[in-house]
Amino acid sequence: MQDWISMPLVGFPLVASIVLLAFVSNADDAMRKRLSNPIRMATLIFSLVMLVITTGLFFQYFGSLSWEGISFNSYNYINRYNWIESLGIHWTVGLDALSFPMVWLTTFLLPVTIIATWNEKNGALYFPIVLAMGGALIGVFVALDLFMFYVFWELTLIPMFFLILKWGGKDRKYASQKFFIYTFTASVIMLLGLITLYFFQDPVNPLQYSGSVTGRTFDIGEITQHALNENGKGWYLGANIQKILFVMLMLGFLVKLPAVPFHTWLPDAHVQAPTGGSMLLAGVMLKMGAYGMFRLPISLFPHALQYFQLVLMAIGMVSLVWGAVVCLGQTNLKKMVAYSSVSHMGVILIGIATMQPMGWAAALFMMFAHGIISPMLFAVCGAFKHHYHSMEIGAMRGMAKHSPWLATSMMFAWMASLGLPLLAGFVAELMMLIALWYFLAAEGWSVFWMVGPALVLAITAGYYLWSMQRTIFEGGDETQPPESLHGEPVPDITNPEKLAMIILAVFTIVFGVMPWIALDMMHDWTAEIFKGLILPILGGFNGGA
Amino acid sequence: MASKESAPLVHSEWMQFAPLIILLPMMAFAVILFLGHIFNGHPFWKKNLKEGGLIALPVMAASLVLSLLLISEFLKGNSGVDQIFEQIAWVNTGVWNGGSMIEPVSLGFGIYVDHITVMLLFVASFLCLLINTFSIGYMNTDPINDNRNHRFYAEFVLFCSGMLGMVLADSFLWLFIFWEIMGLCSYLLIGFYYERPSAASAAKKAFLTTRIGDVFLMIGLVMLWDLFGSLDYAVVFATENIDAVAAESAGTLQWALGLMFIGAVGKSAQFPLHVWLPDAMEGPTPVSALIHAATMVNAGLYLVARMFPFFGAESLHGDLDDLAFVIASIGGITAVMAAAIAFVQMDLKKVLAYSTMSQLAYIFTGLGCAMYLANTLDWHHNDKDHYIVIVAFGAALFHLFNHAMAKGMLFMASGSVIHEVHHAHHHLHHHDDHHDDHGDDHHDDHDDHHDDHFDAQSMENMGGLASKMPITATAMLVGSASIMGLPLIGGFWSKEGIIANAWRVAQNDPRFLLPAMCVLIGAAMTGFYMSRMWFKTFAGKPNNEVAAHVGPTNTWIKTPLFILTFVTLSSIIFAGMGFTHWASDTEYSFLSERNLLDGIIYEMDHAFANSDIFFFILTYIAIFMGAIVGPGLAMALYGGKLAEGEEAKPWMRPIIALSAWFNDRFHFDNTALRESTLATALENRLYIDEYYDKAMINIVAGFSNKVAETDAEVIDGTIKAIESGSQSLSTIVRSMTTGSARDYILMVAVGTLALFLLIWGVA
Repeated sequence: MQDWISMPLVGFPLVASIVLLAFVSNADDAMRKRLSNPIRMATLIFSLVMLVITTGLFFQYFGSLSWEGISFNSYNYINRYNWIESLGIHWTVGLDALSFPMVWLTTFLLPVTIIATWNEKNGALYFPIVLAMGGALIGVFVALDLFMFYVFWELTLIPMFFLILKWGGKDRKYASQKFFIYTFTASVIMLLGLITLYFFQDPVNPLQYSGSVTGRTFDIGEITQHALNENGKGWYLGANIQKILFVMLMLGFLVKLPAVPFHTWLPDAHVQAPTGGSMLLAGVMLKMGAYGMFRLPISLFPHALQYFQLVLMAIGMVSLVWGAVVCLGQTNLKKMVAYSSVSHMGVILIGIATMQPMGWAAALFMMFAHGIISPMLFAVCGAFKHHYHSMEIGAMRGMAKHSPWLATSMMFAWMASLGLPLLAGFVAELMMLIALWYFLAAEGWSVFWMVGPALVLAITAGYYLWSMQRTIFEGGDETQPPESLHGEPVPDITNPEKLAMIILAVFTIVFGVMPWIALDMMHDWTAEIFKGLILPILGGFNGGA
Repeated sequence: MASKESAPLVHSEWMQFAPLIILLPMMAFAVILFLGHIFNGHPFWKKNLKEGGLIALPVMAASLVLSLLLISEFLKGNSGVDQIFEQIAWVNTGVWNGGSMIEPVSLGFGIYVDHITVMLLFVASFLCLLINTFSIGYMNTDPINDNRNHRFYAEFVLFCSGMLGMVLADSFLWLFIFWEIMGLCSYLLIGFYYERPSAASAAKKAFLTTRIGDVFLMIGLVMLWDLFGSLDYAVVFATENIDAVAAESAGTLQWALGLMFIGAVGKSAQFPLHVWLPDAMEGPTPVSALIHAATMVNAGLYLVARMFPFFGAESLHGDLDDLAFVIASIGGITAVMAAAIAFVQMDLKKVLAYSTMSQLAYIFTGLGCAMYLANTLDWHHNDKDHYIVIVAFGAALFHLFNHAMAKGMLFMASGSVIHEVHHAHHHLHHHDDHHDDHGDDHHDDHDDHHDDHFDAQSMENMGGLASKMPITATAMLVGSASIMGLPLIGGFWSKEGIIANAWRVAQNDPRFLLPAMCVLIGAAMTGFYMSRMWFKTFAGKPNNEVAAHVGPTNTWIKTPLFILTFVTLSSIIFAGMGFTHWASDTEYSFLSERNLLDGIIYEMDHAFANSDIFFFILTYIAIFMGAIVGPGLAMALYGGKLAEGEEAKPWMRPIIALSAWFNDRFHFDNTALRESTLATALENRLYIDEYYDKAMINIVAGFSNKVAETDAEVIDGTIKAIESGSQSLSTIVRSMTTGSARDYILMVAVGTLALFLLIWGVA
């Protein structure tokens, strides 16, 4: 496929959705209603075309990578559009084994989201916004330019903001503003870090860039290469600046991830967000945080990473355990699932903090696996909201009798999320545990640090099973539908929802049984970044002094 | 780090189909679920395919045939260990060990066959098929199950796939993976009647309790992986790798194995993680028979038996004896505790559940003792010690075999009883209804489902069924005898071995007096509760009208009972074939040089005329306790003649007559005993469940609610405070925009002054 292929993947959905929105915004209500179906079909087809393209990329290149096939900081399908040359701003796009799974995941979730929320109200506006969301997300993952990375990073907020504001629940105004302001504040700190990164030169060996008037560049590849060389000799940019920049960038990413204690925007946003918004938010948007960590602070500042390793480990542990325990105390299904995301993101952080290739591969695979499982979780929650008008765990009993499809989907998603073997989540958890053990052994730490993650395995099972028992099971012969149904017959999920659930379930199984499809390239990437970046520092060879 | 070259690769004609043993049921799962969804309620699906039962049956038969071929191929090769094909690399990743290299790591799947595999493979595939047959007779005739049986069969075959996979897997990792799949199926099947609160809660309890064990198991696996760099049997059992680990970290290895043992404790329902098993009887009876008696609960035993090479390793000599003691003690304690609770149970299935727990505990004790012997005796060089170890290990595994067969049969028989009692009740009820109230058909339909006043599982509603259900009564009799260890029948051959070995170890190590005493006392207790169950159900007069109207059962149910009765009775043949010497050691292997008759004579001689005076006396004490004291007490309390005009089959007549005689002669009033504190405590399962529930509600739920509160009020509260703080700040700032020129001039003046002072100060 052509090198420029990533550009239309970003640009096309954005442009298409703007055109559609412009078109729709002039129409009156009746017209919108009539337009809703063709627009829905159009967005579905657009997103399917994108999925076909990214799947093609997999078969053409990423599916057949070998250990030597890539090295750290090398990208495929690179293309560059010179935008503000004098400042060194280009729209550079490229894919590597870090970004490709995320891009594929986004294109995979777009059609699934559209299908799962087939009957969303005001569809003429809704579906283009979902499409725009996809474009912005892909933009983040393919950007190889700090400036464009930030542009798309913030751009993702806009469609999500409107999704929550327009299609959200009762407190949507509060939630959308909290979501926007909270994450925006964090990204402003990140922006400061990015600007510093642009202007600040390494005192020993400044980056010589001739392409711009300022002599500086936003190009991630250039900066990473330079940082790689300098880090081999000592702290790139000097120890203090590296630490400060690391913290600034990490702050932005930790809020996005989110990690405890920066997580409280997430439950609010999720509970108020419409199903489609939640699916994309949990499925891809949270992973922007983890993706950003790998792309910038880890790649650029390995010394600082080592310096802050224990802090990250602590945050990861706290997120993992805290998120899980809070889940046990929730009575709202969607809030519980939202907190379980916090807990699972803790796994990613722990994986990163182990500084083991296996831990990093576990983090990458967790990003991917959670990206498939959590949309299903939220699709189930959405179905509860949509059909039962209630997500309170205590409000109903025995729904499996009336809604077997919903109950089955719920059970499947819940089991996948609690880490049942041969479903996608297990592989990541297992690898994380092994890597964590390695970390503990290497640091000479006590085994009791395993107790936290291990307990979470049991707690996770606890809250998921408990919530199932209280909603879809029990009830005796006379089930207790939620009062919010007002005595109407209890519906099951609709056919499009069924289809979306089946797709998600099938892929959860596929990646659980054959994790190597995605894991091999992730492993190659982590092995390379580890060899290129971390080993020179930790191993003390290759001019480590 | 470890090398993987130690395992011989054998490709033979049949063995390449071995993965099908796992894959066929797994595919059947999808097929049954799919077809069941489409054709639900269709008459062809219901009548001709038995709602999926007749799809599952040939699949399980195929699995059994393939398993048998695999087993015979293996035994012909007699190579000790077979690996059938190269591992499929499942997860490829890398670790850094502090050097300058990233070491590639691969977690793979393969199939591994040795003597332990062969035993479990036969037990699992054989019982899966029989219980599948039974299910068709049991599930499809019950109107409650209408139109949901496809779910049963789908989950049933998925379970079988998990069990067979666990047995065939070639690494502890894949053992764990299939182990969890079984756990899932157990959860689904216990919750088969999900609308019943008791079933939903039992399912959750089972999953969570075993999950707690699994957490430890997982940590143990990670530790083991750290020690060996792999979880493949071929690697971790390789002598050179064990030697390397033994030299440096024998203590860590003991911890790793100990944590894994906790997983086994959860899965095999041993104290203190036993609470889920009795509740698991909420599932349909075939599920209880298959999963919670004959196969899945053996997974824990299988895991412990798998650890044998560590205990037997020369380089770890004497390093693991503490763990062996723990295993034996947990077994001993559970054996007595569960047997005591079984004394007071009224529910037929619950008696069997506690009996299962108790018998599994026997096997744990047996394994623990065998492991201790292997770990402390010089069995690699001393022939006598070698023989002792092999026989001790063999006894435990043989008891697993005997127990699985007998308990599977007992559960099926109990299911047959419950089924018929239920039908009789339904029939009577229906009849009465028509008599009293002709119009109320609607009401009747409701009664099909649940009747709160009548418990078809309670032995209070049975009695005197021996003449009405001859095959069932016989099966139950033989099964009970096997579990009790009545001489010559089934479990006798293995149970004697376990008791003898426990005492043999106790002679060397006084700590083992605890499990040794436990298993000896447990023998008498087993004799009592099993006899009590049989007499209460089958002897005496019918306890009520329902029991008097019970009829015989159908062929689907009878066939497996018949086959298993035969298997249990012919246990001596298996013993003679060398089942008591079951270990991965070619010298004493299955089908050894000895011919069958010699083997049988040898076993007889060994059991009844042991040359060692200590064991000679011990044998007769055990027989006296298990076959005379226990049953005698039960007969005195619960024995009795059948009702007038009822004739039992000739082989049951003397037993019933004997029980009636005992009852006349020795009957005593046990009301005081029944109302004692101890009996109440036993009826409440020693309050263990209660404490667990309290801990869950008060500690876990209370703590998590507090944490959720903190999350909302402290963490989110801070954010909200910042938010409202910035809002009030902006209100103040906004209020400065007064619009009055005088205010602005003042501000400018103050500002200029401040700037001036600041610059002056800096300069």
